[in-house]
Amino acid sequence: MAKQKAKPKQKHGFLIRGGLDIPFFMIVIALITLGLIMMFSASSSYSYYYFNDSFYYFKRQLVFAILGLGVLAVMSSVDYHVLKKAAVPILLVSFALLVAVLLVPPPAGFEDFHRWISLGPVTFQPSEIAKFAIILYFAYHMDRHFKEINSNALSDASWAQGFNQGRGLIKIRAKTVHMMWYLLILAVTCALVYKENHVSGTLLIFALGIMMMFLAGFNYRWFVVAAVALVVLVIVVVKNPSILPEHAQPRILSWVDKDYDPLGVRWQTNQAIYAIGSGGFFGVGLGNSKMKQLYVSEPQNDFIFSIICEELGFVGALFIVILFALLVWRGFLIGIKAKDIFGSLLAMGIVFQVGLQAALNIGVVTDVLPNTGISLPFFSYGGTSLLMLIFEMGVVLSVSRTAKLKKI
Amino acid sequence: MARKTDRKLQDRAYIAMILTLVLGFGIGVFGMINTGLIHGEENRRKAESEQLSDTVVAARRGTIYDSNMNILAQSTDAWKIYVNPKEVPDEETAKKAASSLSSILDVDYDEVLTDCLNKKRSYIVLKSKVDFNTKQLIEKLRTENKGYNRFIGIEDDVTRFYPYDNFASTVIGFTGSSDKGMSGLESAYNTKLTGLSGRNITAQNAKQREISSDFATYYAAQEGTSLQLTIDNAIQYYLDSALSNAVETQNATYGYGIVMDVKTGAILAMSSQPDYDLNDPYKISKADVKEELDQIANDDERAKATTSALFAQWRNRTITDTYEPGSVFKCITAAAGIEEGVVTPDEMFVCGGSYKVKDITYHCSNRRGHGSEDFTTSLMNSCNPIYIQVAQRLGSQKFSNYFEAFGLGETTGVDLAAEAAPKPGVTYYTADRMGPVELASSSFGQSFQVTPIQVCTAINAIANDGKLVQPYIVARELDSEGNVVSVTKPTVKRQVVSKLTADTVTQMMVEVVRNGTAKNATVTGYKVAGKTGTSEKLTTATEDYIGSFCGFAPADDPEISVIIIIDDPKSGSFTGGKTAAPVAAEVIGNTLRYLNIEPEYGDDEKTQQDVKTPSVVGLSAAAAQESLSASGYTVRVIGDGEKVKAQYPEAGKLIPQNGVIVLYTKSAKASETVEVPNLTGLTVSQARSTARAAGLNVEIVGTSNDFTGASYTQSISKGTKVALGSTVTVAYMTTTTEMEIEDTGNAD
Repeated sequence: MAKQKAKPKQKHGFLIRGGLDIPFFMIVIALITLGLIMMFSASSSYSYYYFNDSFYYFKRQLVFAILGLGVLAVMSSVDYHVLKKAAVPILLVSFALLVAVLLVPPPAGFEDFHRWISLGPVTFQPSEIAKFAIILYFAYHMDRHFKEINSNALSDASWAQGFNQGRGLIKIRAKTVHMMWYLLILAVTCALVYKENHVSGTLLIFALGIMMMFLAGFNYRWFVVAAVALVVLVIVVVKNPSILPEHAQPRILSWVDKDYDPLGVRWQTNQAIYAIGSGGFFGVGLGNSKMKQLYVSEPQNDFIFSIICEELGFVGALFIVILFALLVWRGFLIGIKAKDIFGSLLAMGIVFQVGLQAALNIGVVTDVLPNTGISLPFFSYGGTSLLMLIFEMGVVLSVSRTAKLKKI
Repeated sequence: MARKTDRKLQDRAYIAMILTLVLGFGIGVFGMINTGLIHGEENRRKAESEQLSDTVVAARRGTIYDSNMNILAQSTDAWKIYVNPKEVPDEETAKKAASSLSSILDVDYDEVLTDCLNKKRSYIVLKSKVDFNTKQLIEKLRTENKGYNRFIGIEDDVTRFYPYDNFASTVIGFTGSSDKGMSGLESAYNTKLTGLSGRNITAQNAKQREISSDFATYYAAQEGTSLQLTIDNAIQYYLDSALSNAVETQNATYGYGIVMDVKTGAILAMSSQPDYDLNDPYKISKADVKEELDQIANDDERAKATTSALFAQWRNRTITDTYEPGSVFKCITAAAGIEEGVVTPDEMFVCGGSYKVKDITYHCSNRRGHGSEDFTTSLMNSCNPIYIQVAQRLGSQKFSNYFEAFGLGETTGVDLAAEAAPKPGVTYYTADRMGPVELASSSFGQSFQVTPIQVCTAINAIANDGKLVQPYIVARELDSEGNVVSVTKPTVKRQVVSKLTADTVTQMMVEVVRNGTAKNATVTGYKVAGKTGTSEKLTTATEDYIGSFCGFAPADDPEISVIIIIDDPKSGSFTGGKTAAPVAAEVIGNTLRYLNIEPEYGDDEKTQQDVKTPSVVGLSAAAAQESLSASGYTVRVIGDGEKVKAQYPEAGKLIPQNGVIVLYTKSAKASETVEVPNLTGLTVSQARSTARAAGLNVEIVGTSNDFTGASYTQSISKGTKVALGSTVTVAYMTTTTEMEIEDTGNAD
């Protein structure tokens, strides 16, 4: 039906008109700046000890941050609809990279973890690209089939005609076909990331995909079923950690039993909560962390939030949490007010991903969640992932230009 | 429709947003509150406990000085070298570092390598108490090799140094690995010497490196108390060398002795030979013992035997070992008898050679008997039957009272560790258990066990007008700046006998030295009072004897009490008169001259009289030489200056008549030295002329009127370099047969 009445195609140029959303922009700049400062503070002792240079990590991160600002300027000015053309290629590249990463030898010391690909001096995680690929492709596909997803229209796929045209009891609805399709893509992606020995990445992508499907308008009942299934799964995993990959088991065990510490698996978490405790309400002051003196291992990475808590205290850390919350709020608002479904899903998917990752990271560092390798967006060290992140922020800003927001 | 779907999307977006914010960030904020605020204190404490390094700052141990403030024991800075194997990058580096370390520190290469590769630990001490030069070499190694300073560490340490090695070693004692006193004074005064250690609290990173922090706190250590001993280095040297000489020449197992200040009980010298090197206490000092130990094939047995040999060499036998004092004790019996009025020095006795108590016959040393003799003579003859009779007159109760009054039933209370405590009924008979037989044997010093210091203190009471004093060895305690913290006040325990009795017994003891069994303790110019003793060791199967002498001098106004014990001499003579008395003579002579006690000469001693050297410093060389030669001195002039700038011995020192005086006309210091020639095996005149030829003075000790024999020992051994004009003591022994007959060992 929809095909017969083709919508007049909207014309899109390469650049986009309209002012960008200043609050979101300010939040992003604040997070990037704070992230750099805290990353420098957290990494200084560690990099001095291992590289004889307090600025070792800071300098590298700074280069990517500056590059990122360029990317932000460009991407926020580019019409986000150009990404529609890239959706399928990026998904394919993502799959290719996820397969490739399993084939290249992992770096020394991480023999069991196929998470990184090195291209010369740059190292990146294909799972980071996979996240964006899922958001983009889902947004693109859901935008195209939004009406079908939100109606009971029957599928017009050729294989379904046998069911739909007869008088049989079983009718294949279009939204069912789409759901299957999304689940398939999600399943393949998650399976590949899981093969990397990357449980947290798998969960994150899975949650992201499900959220996109939720936003697209699939029936609530599926999500109730999914939520129940998730709770059951969590209970099963906590009760029987042996079904997990070997490296993840002790993390679950030591999370359940805080005194269980074989081979020092709780070391990292303990150091983190000691740091948070040391910070108290107002913190020991910027730069004064003692736990970053090689106690918290790689304080510039996944556990940077503990150093933030120690130096800036509960108050400072709460400020950063609020910044993330504002980012999520403003991002969703941009999505809600976006001109079209594509932009809407794109913006919401991106900020949801960032928000979820930040929330999970803070949960891990404060020992509410089991220790998983999740980094804190904007704060954790990692040039390519920062670049990717800022690019995504540019995308959201691009969406904001045509959104019907009250411009401040 | 579009509006409816838009609204639906909007609703879902809000749901998703709220879910993310509330659930997601709720978890995070909950975690922050839980770990940072609710359990914040606990986590902060845990953090601090791993960040703060609380190291003990060792207090410097107090110094031990002799009475002249010569340092006998001192703690000096040292260093500890350790490795942190966790920071050793690879095996290659470990091997390279281990070979450098083992050669610098003189430790086994394989051990160092094993330590360096012990990845489980982060702190292994390779060597402690390393000196400054070695520490510098390690520092150089660390700077020259990149990365070494990550795993090779240097820490402060202290080491105990004993400048005089063996000197008074059994008295001073030594410290163990943790700077804790292991024996002697180091152990007895450990708490005071140790002081209070301080603390250094610093923040450190996870690799045990210090980082700056507000927590850094330093509590300074409080240095230990220093001790000034009553030990006089010169007197200690006389005693040490006389005893070690005696042990060697008499082939004895041990020789030990004490020199005590009569009036105060201050111990001027205390020695137990053979001794050991305080700087190397775990080395077996006796060569023959070492050889014996090396021949034990079984490792365990050898280790056990080595341990007991070490404990044996560390013992201060003057306070830890007990023995039967034998005839020396007759002085106590005599004092008790005279004090109680049951006997007088002039009372006549008859010695028939033996005396029967109940069914037991006690023999006198002279089995034929001494015949008719007065009480004084019975002491000179050391005649057992007479003392049994005196004890019988006293009765068990009174005898025991005096035994205990003289301090033989208690420890002397000397401030040294491990003084053997007497046990009533075990080490000696108490009155209620003392039957006639026990009384008889006790009367002449048998059937009970006492320590040398008990005997010396008891005899000292006779010297000290009947007053028993408590011996002590620490004269003063000083703080780290040298301020006097406390001074030991001499303690008089009690008046044991009257001054009159004490004087009477002293006169009897003078006779014992002049013409009795202690004749070999004679010192020219000084009146010595003393008594010898010989007892058979009951603990051994073979016939082992202990020869002893205890006495004091000068008899008219006693300054020093001396006890000398020669344990198991194997060179033929074993009686106290032959083994211990000559050693005592040497020690007494040297000590009294050192203390500048004016000698007094009897008529027969005039020729051997010491004279005070006149002062000739400042006179012209020729005039000095002329005047000294006229007075009979032998003069040596060093240098061709016109005036005498220095003389040796200095003015006022006692030297033998016609002695050698060296005059220095160029330098103002006595600088010439000479090797001491052999002076043993010579007659008196031979010894004198040999010494004079070498430019030395000789002091003759031993039997005063019999110089026909050959000298048996000299105070400074052959080949030693001494100042030109020094005095060497040469000892002579009586060779004529006397009343003493060595057949029973029960008495001299």
